[in-house]
Amino acid sequence: MAQKRKRKKRLYQRIRENKRLQSAETVVLPVMLGIAIFLLWQGGIVHQWFHTDVFTLPLPTKIGSIMGDNIDKILENTFSTVSVAFIGLALGCILGYLFAVLAAVFPRIGSGGLGIIGAFASIPVVALAPVMNNWTRDLSKEASIRSMASKIIVVMLISAANMSLNAYRGLTEVKPFSEDLMAIYTTKKRVVLWKLRIPNSLPYVFIALKVAVPSSIMTAIVSEYFAEYITGVGRQIRENIVLAQYATAWAYIATACIIGVAAYVLLMVIQGLTLRRYH
Amino acid sequence: MSGKEEKEVEISIRDVGVAFCDNAGNHVQALTGVNLDIYKGEFVALLGPSGCGKTTLLRSVCDLQEVTEGEIRISGKTPGEIRLEQKFGFVFQQPVLLSWRTVKKNVELPLEIMYYSKADRSKRADEMLQMVGLSDFADHYPGQLSGGMQQRANIARAFGLRPDILLMDEPFSALDEFTKEKLHMDLLQIWSETNKTILFVTHNIQEAVLLSDRVCVLSPHPGRLSAVVDIDLPRDRTLEMKETAHFNELVSKVRNSFEGGSV
Repeated sequence: MAQKRKRKKRLYQRIRENKRLQSAETVVLPVMLGIAIFLLWQGGIVHQWFHTDVFTLPLPTKIGSIMGDNIDKILENTFSTVSVAFIGLALGCILGYLFAVLAAVFPRIGSGGLGIIGAFASIPVVALAPVMNNWTRDLSKEASIRSMASKIIVVMLISAANMSLNAYRGLTEVKPFSEDLMAIYTTKKRVVLWKLRIPNSLPYVFIALKVAVPSSIMTAIVSEYFAEYITGVGRQIRENIVLAQYATAWAYIATACIIGVAAYVLLMVIQGLTLRRYH
Repeated sequence: MSGKEEKEVEISIRDVGVAFCDNAGNHVQALTGVNLDIYKGEFVALLGPSGCGKTTLLRSVCDLQEVTEGEIRISGKTPGEIRLEQKFGFVFQQPVLLSWRTVKKNVELPLEIMYYSKADRSKRADEMLQMVGLSDFADHYPGQLSGGMQQRANIARAFGLRPDILLMDEPFSALDEFTKEKLHMDLLQIWSETNKTILFVTHNIQEAVLLSDRVCVLSPHPGRLSAVVDIDLPRDRTLEMKETAHFNELVSKVRNSFEGGSV
């Protein structure tokens, strides 16, 4: 009996130590979990657990067929959400990074400013979105443009806060003695920034993006709820729930998930290519 | 060693004291009353236990640390002026290599800062890498190198600008014994070829005796220069010298010159 257990353990260890199996494991296990959830859902077992019905929680196949039927409308709304998220993210990250550079170059003003930025990061989107709707009221006669600007500003503020806090760390937390090294060669501040601080901040930029990319999509979706003009994946979730079209609402929920995962995968690919040289 | 009268004083340290406030706001007297003349082309070791101010003295010489008493003159100029002329090379305790640059690009860094042309940079960096035996690793990234190789790259970078004065702050203390011995011999080889003045901080008595012309012994609380021991071992030094009776005599002499006997 004891011998048998020992052999079993050896086999288990062999599996654990096999590099190939390990990497397969990281793919296989999540996929298996996904399949399990699909089967439980499609088989109606999830509905039993949560005491609900296929009207409120439609079957995955039903959601899939609705996505297929409404693909044009879904793509249109996806484009609206993604463009708000992306423009807001890009503007916010550029702004946040520039602020971090200023804070790193002028530390006395900068550290205080970063505190304020940090406070911005903790404002909930549900509070910020209506305020921005109000602020952008006189921006344009077109409701679609007003709304888009308002949503972009919300995404921008949230992304900028995240980026500036992380980028500041990357710009200032350099390797020990590297600032002394630069001092020995009486390097100009500008050159130190260019040759030491900015390259050093690159991995931190990706740390910020790992949070900012998903949160920009989430922020765009939530601010759509409050926007004047009816468009976007988030708004469609709300509209369809109000109309009790749960299957369509679920189609948009699935779309939101796909957008989020796709954006994250894209980010990971870009990070892999960019940080190849950083060891 | 040639006669003393032929030597030209390069670094003159007069009654130097360094005091600063630490993070807790306490007044710390890191160094007091240091007098020392360092000659051109000399290899001087600054030896002492932790907290004796040897690194502070080194940093004062190259203007990374402000002197609060006395003065340091290098060929008649202040350390700040010499730093502006970029005549210092500094090898830090840790190989401060930038991880996103290849070894060669790291060696080129000071040359880039000095606006050398691309061709000059490349040529000079190749020479330096050749000198420290890293030619085959020019295009590797620092993370792919062993600790010893990283420290070699660090030394190559410090020599790249052809500094007049090379300051080394416990450069080999993090390395294993085999790598350290190899680098000792390499450093002496490079030094004899380039004829720089080297100030070498260490807490290892054998290392100080093996490498230097003179060992300056510093004692703590407060940091002060307690003795200067001439090392009259012949040049070129070899690792075998470490087993000679004379080497051991010198080591004992240095050890006994710490104030208060042993540390």
